Amino acid sequence: MTAFRALTVVTLRALLGRRRTLLIALLGGLPILVAVLIRVGGGRPDAAPILDTLVIRTVLPLVALVLGTAALGSEIDDGTVIFQLLKPIARWRIALAKTSVAAGMTAALVLPPMVVTGLLLGGINPTSIGLAGGFTIAALVGGIAYAVGFTALGLVTSRALIVGLGYTLIWEGVLAGILEGTRFLSIRQATLGVAASLTGRDVGVEPLTPTVSLVILAAVVVTGFAIATLRLRRFQVRAAD
Amino acid sequence: MTAGVPAIQLDHVSRWYGNVVAVNDVSFALGPGVTGLLGPNGAGKTTLLHLLAGLLAPSAGAVRVAGRPAFGDPSIYRFVGLVPEREAVPDYLTGREFVRLNADLQGLGDPGAATDRAIGTVELGDAADRPIGTYSKGMRQRIKLASALVHEPRILLLDEPFNGMDPRQRLHMMDLLRRMAAEGRAILFSSHILEEVERLAEAVLVVYAGRLAASGDFRSIRRLMTDRPHRFTIRSSDDRGLAAALLAHPAVFGLELLDGRLAVQASDLTGFARGIAPIARSAGIRLYELTATDDTLESVFSYLVRR
Amino acid sequence: MTAPRATQATGNIYDLGYRGYDGPRLGRVTVGLGLLRQSLREAYGIGRGGRAKIAPFVLLAFAVFPAILAVGFRALAAQTGAGEQFEQEVPIRHDTYQSVTSLFVWLFVAAQAPELFGRDQRYGVLPLYFSRVLTRVDYALARTGGVFIAILIVTVVPQLLLTIGGILAASDPVAGLGKELPEIPRYLAVCVLESGVFSGVAAVVAAYTPRRAYAVAAIIALFIVPPIVVGIITTLSVPDVARVLLLASPSDVIDGVNGAIYGPLTLGGETFVLATLPGWVYIVTALGFVVASLAIVIRRYLTITV
Repeated sequence: MTAFRALTVVTLRALLGRRRTLLIALLGGLPILVAVLIRVGGGRPDAAPILDTLVIRTVLPLVALVLGTAALGSEIDDGTVIFQLLKPIARWRIALAKTSVAAGMTAALVLPPMVVTGLLLGGINPTSIGLAGGFTIAALVGGIAYAVGFTALGLVTSRALIVGLGYTLIWEGVLAGILEGTRFLSIRQATLGVAASLTGRDVGVEPLTPTVSLVILAAVVVTGFAIATLRLRRFQVRAAD
Repeated sequence: MTAGVPAIQLDHVSRWYGNVVAVNDVSFALGPGVTGLLGPNGAGKTTLLHLLAGLLAPSAGAVRVAGRPAFGDPSIYRFVGLVPEREAVPDYLTGREFVRLNADLQGLGDPGAATDRAIGTVELGDAADRPIGTYSKGMRQRIKLASALVHEPRILLLDEPFNGMDPRQRLHMMDLLRRMAAEGRAILFSSHILEEVERLAEAVLVVYAGRLAASGDFRSIRRLMTDRPHRFTIRSSDDRGLAAALLAHPAVFGLELLDGRLAVQASDLTGFARGIAPIARSAGIRLYELTATDDTLESVFSYLVRR
Repeated sequence: MTAPRATQATGNIYDLGYRGYDGPRLGRVTVGLGLLRQSLREAYGIGRGGRAKIAPFVLLAFAVFPAILAVGFRALAAQTGAGEQFEQEVPIRHDTYQSVTSLFVWLFVAAQAPELFGRDQRYGVLPLYFSRVLTRVDYALARTGGVFIAILIVTVVPQLLLTIGGILAASDPVAGLGKELPEIPRYLAVCVLESGVFSGVAAVVAAYTPRRAYAVAAIIALFIVPPIVVGIITTLSVPDVARVLLLASPSDVIDGVNGAIYGPLTLGGETFVLATLPGWVYIVTALGFVVASLAIVIRRYLTITV
């Protein structure tokens, strides 16, 4: 097994099989529950509000946040990152392994329920597939950006969870809505931009064009990865208290 | 590793955290063999080992392993192994999985065989397939050691490795470290327990409050401290007479008559050692027993620390 | 000077001057109040160094800031004679304030409750507390009380600022006082219930989840996700289900309490009606949340093995 694969496996094992991941998986599956409730209650079967408001704006960043900060931040917190760093592995490889696992698991937990929700509510026809597919693809690229960004955040601050929550809830939720110019600094807006262009649905404020959105998301991924690599290179253990 | 380059070299290395200086202008060089890093808790032993393992950057000075800077160069981990004291191991992995993981991350050619060897070396074969969360402290120490040995490093750093080990395990590990040193490896272990260092280390580095207080063989360190009184206990045929005769000797500055023996404090070891026999002979006194009462690492250490 | 001998036939115990304490001791109540005070201090990071103060004080600032803005603009409007118009149009008032700042309250309690409950469990110091005159119940109450008061500060202070601003900026202070006085019991009621419900829920999660990251994520999820689900279900018009789920969502319950005490909110001429359930239902549910959370936290500390 190559070193990279071993890194990936140990990160996966650290994330999987813990109570936290179960709860996160439940959170990811929540859209299906809502869809079922709507179907059963005889409500209007429109998947868009669920996929937009519940998933892209809430569940996706939350899942990416918990997984991203866990992939590196919590290992630094409890000290188990040391034995991974005391190895002759290039730091960018470590960064790549961690971010990949965070992004991959985010996608695995969030995307399939999205597809199921879309089909459950819309039936199996080209329109509903297009809708579900559009939102899912947007969530894929947005989720990768979130996951990479939050993994890097875990290396930058020890309170990454709170800072990440502040970013998602305050910055993306409140300020970016009020201050027009900050739309470019919001992963959420970029994700919604992609979703809007793929599905043609209304996503609230005037969405960013798909090109701009993808550029923003790519920039987040690249910057996040670079920050993670650099911080790993200059990593130092905390002072003994 | 090229010959002639010391395995471990520190050059005026300091490390501070804000106002707290953890390591203060420390310089030394080590080669193959077992060296003990001795000092009380808080002396900076763990900080020194972290500096050597590239887990900390020096605030001043240069830290080199095999001639290369320790910080910022992951390739040194091919031949450096660290057994940390504080850092945790993942509880949910079994011992074997953990060692195997280390072997994989090292990119070894035959990780399975290396894992088996390492586990055999630390004698954890029976417990290897249980989760580490069920291990005792001594077993955790040993599995950490196994994970650090799996790539057969030329330089091995151990932070308080004997913590939590029972006497048999400690002897076994000491043997192991001696054997590894004999193979040409440079081994540096830290401890605040004098007896351990005394038994195992060929050379000693004494640290106190971040400073290097002394280095070398502990007996020769002792010799160097001529301003500290050396103490002897003598049994003779006439203690009082001997005391009177000794008082004339310039090396003697303290005498005490105890029950059945004479306690002597001498400032100059060599002078006293040369002079005691002639003095006794010319006074017509027979010497029955002469013991140095403070030639142990313990007294060396307490003396250095009190300075 | 004698060299110490390893073999001594006799042993000695030396009197180093230790004394027992036979004087009066402070009782359970004092100790409990002391822990309450300590919890409140920890909730704001006081006594723990600069970094611990960042999250609570930043969030407190966010919660208070709109009130400061409103007071400032009211003063300006009064000066330029647009006072009446301001009263009509301003979106930041006593009755709307709860929805303006609820996010910061959630973040505050999500950030700080795990500190108050988790650290003692993580570091295993609970035996030190329980082997004193302080009972387990006292401990649970003191810790929860600390969170409650901390949140109460976050919710009440901006309202007080609005009151003060309203009195001072009014053209006739006495009339201003007359307008503001009846508001005070109203917003106090909302704040108390709001603080009680949110601190209670957070306390339950934090008491059962010593690991900080899990606790923070769980608390935030409990406040943020249910309202969205309820919102979606309402939009897609399944009102009965929505009504039931509403009562399981702490955030929606508090919104309902606010609506119960203030009636429907009017904003720039529009009226938002939350009238899916009668007002008293929300208040009763809120009280239920408070009581239930206290009971669960107490049970947790009665049964926790140290």
